[in-house]
Amino acid sequence: MARDLAIDLGTANTLVYMKGRGIVLNEPSVIALNRQTGEVLATGREAWQMIGRTPGYIVAVRPLRGGAITDFEITERMIRLLLQRVGVSRFTRPKVVICVPSAITEVERRAVTDAARRAGAADANLIEQPMAAAIGADLPIDEPVGNMVIDVGGGTSETAVISLGGIVSLEAVRVGSFDIDAAIQNHVRREHGIAIGERTAEEIKVAIGSADPTQDENQAEVRGRDLMTGLPKTVVLTPEEVRFAIEDVVSSIVASVVRCLSKAPPELSQDFLVRGMYLVGGGGLLRGLAERIERETQVPVRMSNVPLEAVVLGAGHVIEHYEALKGMFMGARR
Amino acid sequence: MFVIVIVGVAIVVAAAGIALLVRPKNDPVDSFRRQIDALSPEARRPTIDQVRDAADDSGDNEPDDS
Repeated sequence: MARDLAIDLGTANTLVYMKGRGIVLNEPSVIALNRQTGEVLATGREAWQMIGRTPGYIVAVRPLRGGAITDFEITERMIRLLLQRVGVSRFTRPKVVICVPSAITEVERRAVTDAARRAGAADANLIEQPMAAAIGADLPIDEPVGNMVIDVGGGTSETAVISLGGIVSLEAVRVGSFDIDAAIQNHVRREHGIAIGERTAEEIKVAIGSADPTQDENQAEVRGRDLMTGLPKTVVLTPEEVRFAIEDVVSSIVASVVRCLSKAPPELSQDFLVRGMYLVGGGGLLRGLAERIERETQVPVRMSNVPLEAVVLGAGHVIEHYEALKGMFMGARR
Repeated sequence: MFVIVIVGVAIVVAAAGIALLVRPKNDPVDSFRRQIDALSPEARRPTIDQVRDAADDSGDNEPDDS
């Protein structure tokens, strides 16, 4: 008998929760393929290490962008391999709950459920990421009070107000931490004339990236390829210029939080001043983001204890109480 | 023999019909209450604690700096 699964199919990472066992897989959402034969050469962490470092016949790709499937066939193969790694076979077909951005279209929803069913799931249901995040972040969403959760992922940023087990207001933008990496890449190319890969851009973000000035800021040496000479070159980046480079992306995230706050009913709005907003997701770990949101909204922002696992834990809880919580699936309420 | 089969089928159909009739209806108040109960902090504790326990376990394995 297959154990049912909850999957956080993120643009950056895929996490799998197995009923009764907890989180059994946490890997980058990357797949490496042989360009000529189409064979899968690696998935997850192994494939992630190949990004930007492959010979011509190998391609390492992220099949999801902005929280949506950009390549259906590759996504299906990636899900199939991930499910195989947690013990799903032709004979053990589990029920699966998949977390997806709330802003995805009907076509994109169909693509995710079809990919999961073809990959071996007996039944596939979807749950909105901010709802799963609120459950996983241990917010008191069973009470008639305003709970606000901000989920900054790799490709999407979603803010939701939740009360009595349902979403009251929601705001989503297809902007996330990958857009921050891309902004850093573009800035370095434009201002310093060197090309860097997406992994280097991510390392710069982690090392000196911030949304608001912070204490103990350091400069960083960046190595890339000079666009004029084609030779390796090193430049020094300051935290201020990285902040300037990512300002548009950060502003877009903060603006979506403000829009969500403005849509919330006044009775719930007053709760936020006391209870604060909760930040989850890998993008939420950007230094100074919580302070920046707090400064611009005048509402306290708190970091979840489990920012990276909150979404899959929430979906995992739904799979543990499948019968009682199946009304929370996307489409079930409509 | 034929009559016995007919009676047997009739009994099975009647039993299935009765089972369908007496089956508890999907009461919306009931299902809402069940959903809220399943979202309570007490109900969520075992799921959340799995990660906390895993984090504690990995912490135990780390070398002691002191």
